[in-house]
Amino acid sequence: MKISLNNKNIEVDPGKSLLEICRENNINIPTLCYQEGLKPGGRCRVCLVEVDGKLVTSCTEKPKENSKIITNSEKVLKARKMNIELIMAGHITTCSIDKDAHDLCGMLEEIGLTGIRFEPIRKYKEDLGSSVVRNDNKCINCGRCIRTCAEIQAVYAIDFASRGYNEHVAPYCEHNLADVACIKCGQCILHCPVGAIHEREHLHEVMEVLKNKKKHVIVQTAPSIRAALGEEFGLEPGTLVTGKMVAALRKCGFDKVFDVNLGADMTIMEEASEFIKRFENGGPFPMITTCCPGWILMMEHFYPDLIKNNNMSTCKSPHEMLGMLTKSYYAKKANIDPKDIIVVSIMPCTAKKFESTRPELETGVDYVLTTREAAKLIRFNKIDFKNIKDENFDPALGIATGAGAIFGATGGVMEAALRTAYEFGNQKTLEKVEFNEIRGMDGIKEGTVKVKGKTIKFAVAHGGANNRKLLENKDKYHFIEMMACPGGCIGGGGQPPHISKDILKKRIKAIYKEESNMEFKKSHENPIVRKIYKEYLDHPLSEKAEKFLHTKYTKRSQF
Amino acid sequence: MDLILPILRKEHKKHGYLSEDILKKISKKTKVPVSRLYAVATFYTMLHTEKQGKNIIEICGSPSCYLNGELDLENFLEKELNIEFGQTTKDKKISLYKTSCIGCCDKAPAMLLNGKAITNLTKEKVKTILKKCRS
Amino acid sequence: MQILEKTELKALKKARNLGPKKTISLLNKKGLTGRGGASFPTGKKWEFALKQKSKEKYVICNADEGEPGTFKDKFIMQKNPETLIEGILIASETIGAKQAYIYLRGEYENLKSKLEKTITKVIRKAKTKVNIEIILGAGAYVCGEETAIIKSIEGFRGQPYLKPPYPPVEGLYGKPTVINNVETLTAAAHAILLDNWNSLLRLFCISGDVTKPGVYELPAGIKLSEAMKLAKPKNPVKSVYFGCFGGCMPYKDIELTHDNICGEDCVSGSCTMIVVDNTRSIVDLAYVISKFFAYESCGKCTPCREGSVRILLLIKKIRQGKATAQDLNLLQELGEHIGQTSLCGLGQSCTNHILTSLKHFRKDFEKELR
Repeated sequence: MKISLNNKNIEVDPGKSLLEICRENNINIPTLCYQEGLKPGGRCRVCLVEVDGKLVTSCTEKPKENSKIITNSEKVLKARKMNIELIMAGHITTCSIDKDAHDLCGMLEEIGLTGIRFEPIRKYKEDLGSSVVRNDNKCINCGRCIRTCAEIQAVYAIDFASRGYNEHVAPYCEHNLADVACIKCGQCILHCPVGAIHEREHLHEVMEVLKNKKKHVIVQTAPSIRAALGEEFGLEPGTLVTGKMVAALRKCGFDKVFDVNLGADMTIMEEASEFIKRFENGGPFPMITTCCPGWILMMEHFYPDLIKNNNMSTCKSPHEMLGMLTKSYYAKKANIDPKDIIVVSIMPCTAKKFESTRPELETGVDYVLTTREAAKLIRFNKIDFKNIKDENFDPALGIATGAGAIFGATGGVMEAALRTAYEFGNQKTLEKVEFNEIRGMDGIKEGTVKVKGKTIKFAVAHGGANNRKLLENKDKYHFIEMMACPGGCIGGGGQPPHISKDILKKRIKAIYKEESNMEFKKSHENPIVRKIYKEYLDHPLSEKAEKFLHTKYTKRSQF
Repeated sequence: MDLILPILRKEHKKHGYLSEDILKKISKKTKVPVSRLYAVATFYTMLHTEKQGKNIIEICGSPSCYLNGELDLENFLEKELNIEFGQTTKDKKISLYKTSCIGCCDKAPAMLLNGKAITNLTKEKVKTILKKCRS
Repeated sequence: MQILEKTELKALKKARNLGPKKTISLLNKKGLTGRGGASFPTGKKWEFALKQKSKEKYVICNADEGEPGTFKDKFIMQKNPETLIEGILIASETIGAKQAYIYLRGEYENLKSKLEKTITKVIRKAKTKVNIEIILGAGAYVCGEETAIIKSIEGFRGQPYLKPPYPPVEGLYGKPTVINNVETLTAAAHAILLDNWNSLLRLFCISGDVTKPGVYELPAGIKLSEAMKLAKPKNPVKSVYFGCFGGCMPYKDIELTHDNICGEDCVSGSCTMIVVDNTRSIVDLAYVISKFFAYESCGKCTPCREGSVRILLLIKKIRQGKATAQDLNLLQELGEHIGQTSLCGLGQSCTNHILTSLKHFRKDFEKELR
């Protein structure tokens, strides 16, 4: 189909929206409510363009044969500016967020908006959750958080309430997020264009303990951080920054930098053993993984029967395991009073913040920072991240295998577990370690493997809506991996914002690149893991291992 | 498929408002998330999530009613009841609201008393109505 | 009145004999257009839905008559519900729908029980498989917009969405759906049955500063002075408002046709006329109408949600004597902006009254400036 775009005749795909066409032609159109993967709603009306003289929202409009589209006429620019002005009038006047992190404040200069002619008229209370904080005074009613929560995550924790200029985002009956069935995945944060939703920050507390000379402060980083942190410093998505990350954190004042990948290896030792035990006892199946605290909350709120029927593995998540080992095994070896050790986890995840407050975990982790908070910390210390020289993790608890490394991507936990379970069950070497059928961005993936002549059916789902879908057929499978966030941890709610499917794919690629460089690919081959069992835990599922590395779950309200 | 709006209206009629517990009950029955039920309930002006007075007065604020002296009645009602629009009297007898046009423009000004249209309003007529509501 | 003629199921019988295609071409020939405001040819709408291959189809009778100053649908539902129901049955059988809904605005709850009785009676007599159910709205002007009705029936917030897809192709629950208003469906029965059916007759709702307010059946194109003779204004007429969304024009003895009304920058819509006499200030009317639109904005899109309340605040400022000429310019700018950039018909027309009153009665506003 032919159209004229800014007086240039071009051939276009009639199935694409004008917004997509403009962006493909390197024409910048500002958007706020538009989100890749969701049907455009036409709410914010910032992406206006002129089609044959009429103003339309380019996100919703499909091209018409021979139509004349202008994206930069005075009429267009004036209308966009007025809508931004109306939006800004409802947005908190004292917003001080970094311009790059924030679509709305970032576009003011370009739009040319300087003064706002309207007075503020609304005031809302701030909703301070344990993991996710909402400030309706910044909210611009674009609805992306609501649609993400409903369409991608199928959690439905928030929706619009009231109407007209009183319309606002709220959990039912104006409760706080912390008091409703929210799984704290933080996906809403990633998609908020104005910073009205963010994590409950613990940066301040961490900076305080770093100043305290008496405390031995250990930081441990999740597998997915190294594949995303670079984006916060302007590096291309998918840039692996393991060495820089370690060096920068050390420079921030942490005494030791440990790799959660080791915790992941420990998780696999326990989880694979648990699976083989079930396999030998004939069930209960499916066994479902428990590394993801967002999924755990989803299960506790909406699928408590999985607890009753013992479908859930009892393994703690990797950083909780490592935290426990740090405060017991490492403390003993390093001869430090565990009371003086502070463990800080850097996680791609907001739900981990909640997880670290669970009483039943007797958690070894003191603070959880998101990837974004870690970047803030590094920036605060004025570290030249891009040019810092690579350093290695501290060796005491710093060697990991490729199996641990791939935990950050959807399918990774399952793949790592299968590598070990296969060898534990069959007592022979697995030659081809890649399970390609469960890699990649398909919402639900499945496969089979033979153990002792029997076929094991396994499946992987990521994103809340896919988790729910997979659960409808759960009885078909023996082993299931669930991740609450699309893409797994690399797409976690604590990661750098502005994500797209393309960026997720690049991050995943980085993770598998890290894995391919590793000497050991199977968790049970990790020499440190072997040492820990030999010196401390005896063997997987031992009494001591059960005590330190396993947990239990609680049924929660569906509302 | 359950028709949500009629269910909400039915429960509203039964209880006088849609409490948190009622919304949860409807959610369990219909499998519609409670956040959406709340979103729907707060969208429509005739559905309330707070307890209402025994009688609900909704005065029409459309131009035709305005041109026939509705504004005086507004002030009169607020003064008589000692509440503002959107509020309920202390004795819980009357809740006062404004409504959009109720289609009684040929007999303006008009109001809805518990859903029933009362037309050609005068101060005297309103006084009698209030007296009835309070007894 | 033509609209009150009882068709006594003879129209349905005729439509059944004709079959869907011929029924539709008869409607096209008679020139029946939608009476809700958009004046889309009814036959064409039905034809779109008829062409869709779907097991499930729906008919929705839009009885969410919310436009201030409009009460003709109520009038029909009170005086000739049988013919309305027959019209719904004709529409349903023609397009192949087994389920029809009457979306009755919440404010008309007292009409419901009588309407239900009529439905039962007519359906029994008509021996039809079509089921008609009344869904009572709950107070939202925007639910007169067809996509908002769909959302409302589906159990969501009644917020409009962008077309296409148009309802006859993809409507209620994603199925082909014909949405017609009460007057249109009633007139459909008449158009089919009556040989001498007059397509020009419209129901005019006249109210405001008149001594004989009411529903008048008059031919489109009648002179405004003729209409005023019937309604009998109290004082010399200053202005006529075509509902809240249609805007206002200074009194002028024009022929009331769609084009003439448009020529005055107004929208004729559903033939509503609110008469304002020379004792009034247009600023007061602007205040009442702005209050209405701020109250009824659904909140979905920025210009209407944020803009309608800003308009109201500006008018308040003017009425308090605190406004400047700059504020008046801002009012004008906002009015144009909201009209041009809003998502649905409500937003696009909610400032017509501001723009037309600023055009014709700017002096009323300027008088009250600081």
